[in-house]
Amino acid sequence: MLPLVSLTLFLPLAGAVLILCLPKPTARTVHGIAIASAALTLVGALAMWLQGVSGEGFSQVEELEWIPAIGAAYRVGVDGISLPLVLLSAVLFLVALIYASSLRDRPRAYVALVLLLETTAIGTFSALDGILFYVFFEVSLVSMYFMIAGWGHEDRQRAALMFFIYTLLGSLPLLLAILGLYLGSPEPTFDMRAWIANPPLEGAAAMWALIAMLITFAVKIPAVPLHTWLPAAHVQAPTVGSVILAGIMLKFGTYGLVRFALQMTPEAFREAGIVVLVFGVVSAIYGAFAALAQTDLKRLVAYTSVNHMGYVIVGVAVAALTLDPAIRATALDGAVLQMFSHGLVTGALFFLVGMIQERADTREMGEFGGLLKTVPLLGWFFVLAAFASLGLPGLAHFPAEFQIFLATLGTTPIAVVVVLGIAIIAGTFLKALRETFMGEPLKRWHAMPDLGMRELLVVVPLLLLTVATGVAPSWVLDVIHRTTSALVL
Amino acid sequence: MGRDLALIIPEIAVLLTAVGALIAEMLRRPRIALVVAVIGLFVATGLTLRLVGTDTTVFGGSFRIDTLSIWAKLILLPATVLTMLLARVDVGGSAREGTVYSLLCFATVGALVLAGAGDTMFLVLGTLLTGLATFALVAYPDTDPATEAAMKFFVFASVTTAIMIFGLSYWFGAAGSTLIADLPAMDKMPLAVILGFVAVVVGLGYKASLVPFHFWAPDAYEGAPLSIAAYLSVVPKVGALFALTQVVRDLPPETGWTVVIAGLAVLSMTYGYLAALVQDNVIRLLAYSSIAQSGYFLLGIVAVGASELALTSIILFAAAYAAMNLGAFAVAAATGRTLNDFSGLGRARPLMGIAMVIFLLSLVGIPPLAGFVGKFLLFAAAIDAQFTWLAVVAIVNTVLSLAVYLRIIVPMYRAGNMAPAAPDPWLGVVVITAFAATLIIGLAAQFFLV
Repeated sequence: MLPLVSLTLFLPLAGAVLILCLPKPTARTVHGIAIASAALTLVGALAMWLQGVSGEGFSQVEELEWIPAIGAAYRVGVDGISLPLVLLSAVLFLVALIYASSLRDRPRAYVALVLLLETTAIGTFSALDGILFYVFFEVSLVSMYFMIAGWGHEDRQRAALMFFIYTLLGSLPLLLAILGLYLGSPEPTFDMRAWIANPPLEGAAAMWALIAMLITFAVKIPAVPLHTWLPAAHVQAPTVGSVILAGIMLKFGTYGLVRFALQMTPEAFREAGIVVLVFGVVSAIYGAFAALAQTDLKRLVAYTSVNHMGYVIVGVAVAALTLDPAIRATALDGAVLQMFSHGLVTGALFFLVGMIQERADTREMGEFGGLLKTVPLLGWFFVLAAFASLGLPGLAHFPAEFQIFLATLGTTPIAVVVVLGIAIIAGTFLKALRETFMGEPLKRWHAMPDLGMRELLVVVPLLLLTVATGVAPSWVLDVIHRTTSALVL
Repeated sequence: MGRDLALIIPEIAVLLTAVGALIAEMLRRPRIALVVAVIGLFVATGLTLRLVGTDTTVFGGSFRIDTLSIWAKLILLPATVLTMLLARVDVGGSAREGTVYSLLCFATVGALVLAGAGDTMFLVLGTLLTGLATFALVAYPDTDPATEAAMKFFVFASVTTAIMIFGLSYWFGAAGSTLIADLPAMDKMPLAVILGFVAVVVGLGYKASLVPFHFWAPDAYEGAPLSIAAYLSVVPKVGALFALTQVVRDLPPETGWTVVIAGLAVLSMTYGYLAALVQDNVIRLLAYSSIAQSGYFLLGIVAVGASELALTSIILFAAAYAAMNLGAFAVAAATGRTLNDFSGLGRARPLMGIAMVIFLLSLVGIPPLAGFVGKFLLFAAAIDAQFTWLAVVAIVNTVLSLAVYLRIIVPMYRAGNMAPAAPDPWLGVVVITAFAATLIIGLAAQFFLV
């Protein structure tokens, strides 16, 4: 039996090390190796997908002694909540590296960072040990800092610094919570499976641990009012950085919300569920309104992420509040599928915005017009991605948001006001589409080239998956549902 | 007596090494002095290995051969070897080069005596031995700044050591014995206990550069040769902190010593990083950073007796700290003393740049580096001992520390006008060794937890 999870996890890192060890490689070799190792990683993730998950607990678990004296070990494995996210990471990183293959400014360090980020992403989703999880969670921060600081736009140093300090401040409470869970365990261990099976904390200790976790994950998600780092980081980050940040790293927050907050402190979460729900609703609505106010396409997409992640928070909060296992399964199905869909759709949107910026050197909606006629492929792809993002039936977000709202209606009907967010996001995108793509083409953009081969290879797979998830969500949902339906809190 | 001598063979070996290096210097053969010193310290390290797992005392309980003192040798002896290689780059070719190696050995003996102290007189002996050797080392270049630094260092050390001796007289009076293990006998005189403890904290606190006994450190580091600054920031400091651990192990908890230690931890961490935030001189910045890092050690010391993780965390963090701090000083030795000297380092000398980033991130405590595992265990020990608030303060300071160390990292990746150059090969050895240790200690933490 191949250790599939570990192979998938460390393949990107191996690629990065190989690239750094080669003496004076050409940019072509560097990109070739990077794409090859990301492709192999995707093969590994697909093999994991074929292996599938059993209903209860974790599957494909691999374990190795690390620091037995304190009960820490290298433990990885997946369940229906993490497996879709592992697959999403493998897909997004591969297309991100394809997109980056035109880069000529210090390509070696750049792709090494991207590959390192891929390992940390897959590691965060598949770690089953508290320390291991934290290690991957933090290393991703460092890599992203260097990516923004090294290859971002004009004001990158400040944005990178803010991102690093903000998110480090955000992630340290999690360290306290992990220590609390460890010291509270009857037999000191960092095994997350043990923490899930028998939540070690109760009463006030559990509530404090939950508060610490909520701070960490709220910064990461990001939930209003801890979202202020996001627009700054996105505006300055290179396109690939934005895609990874929004497509993958925001999910660290929502994934942690399910894996840690919901599964390890369920009682406290049930008590505090209503507060979390309110934060979710506020995030969704605020994100939508903030997006509506943007004129910069990238900031607009960044704020729609706040909105979409708000729905995930609502879904998880509903799952904590409800006592009916069927409703809980529906809410979590929706929340996890929403993470998966958001990765695909927002990834595509950020790539498309990046392509526009590369051509025009601006992202201001007002500067464009009639792009649908000038660059039809880019334009129609953007329209498709935008429709997916606003939740059109038949595209990826619809089945996810539908289930979240369904579960909400069955538990706390009042929270359904969050549906307003969809209308506002629809308005946002329609306005953006009208200003940028409709109308008469401006003269200055006549020479703008349409998508090339490399760019098609990036966008088309994401959009195909978006449609596939929208039309027949069962291929993902079945995997998710197998775990969520067996979940005992 | 024979048994006792057999158990302190490593210390004797270091002492003989110091004498050997001195003889080589007297014969005007500084290179041989270096070789003798390095080989001698390696031999002493090897002799320590067979003691691992021993837990006993020698000379009537006045010197302890336990986890702390054994690990002190395993950490500080290699650290001294690395400083000697740094010193070779720093003072190589100067008039009395060999005395530096000899003095470094003497100072290390002092630190080892401190780390194994089982008797209050050993605290005094260790403090003086390390002190005398390091005063001379700081003054070695014979320049005005070095002399000034040595004078400040000397005056500060004399006063604090005198206070310590004065305070220890209370303990002797109250307990009727100088053995640390006899301290619980004085629980009937709480005032004498606390007076004596405060005095010990003053004496050891100066050596460990804890706030508010840190004033000498930035000046001494700045005036001294860089290798000596690196040495001061690691060996005497770890020795003193281990000595403090030995003292509090036997101190009755009712005396309230934990409050004193916790207060010093907060002061050292916070003041150290705040002061580091405004330094433009990398050596002063690293000096303040080492003051703050001493504060982190106190998180483990505060938990001694209350948490099983306390000793482990202190030892592991000491190893991590020695590796990453020496590494950072070694890169500074190759680069320069001001923040401006670092601009463009990452682009012109990528390997040196990566190494420095790793050292600094490890000092912050970013996983999976050595500093992370050390701080993680320190936090765990503090929380286990019901000092959660202290762990929270430490965590907030960790964020502050990121801002401090980024002040070095950020200019490193700016476009600078630094020319690519290969560093001195011995300096390279130091950087690579420290780099490997910083990476491995985190992953091989189990090794330290025996």
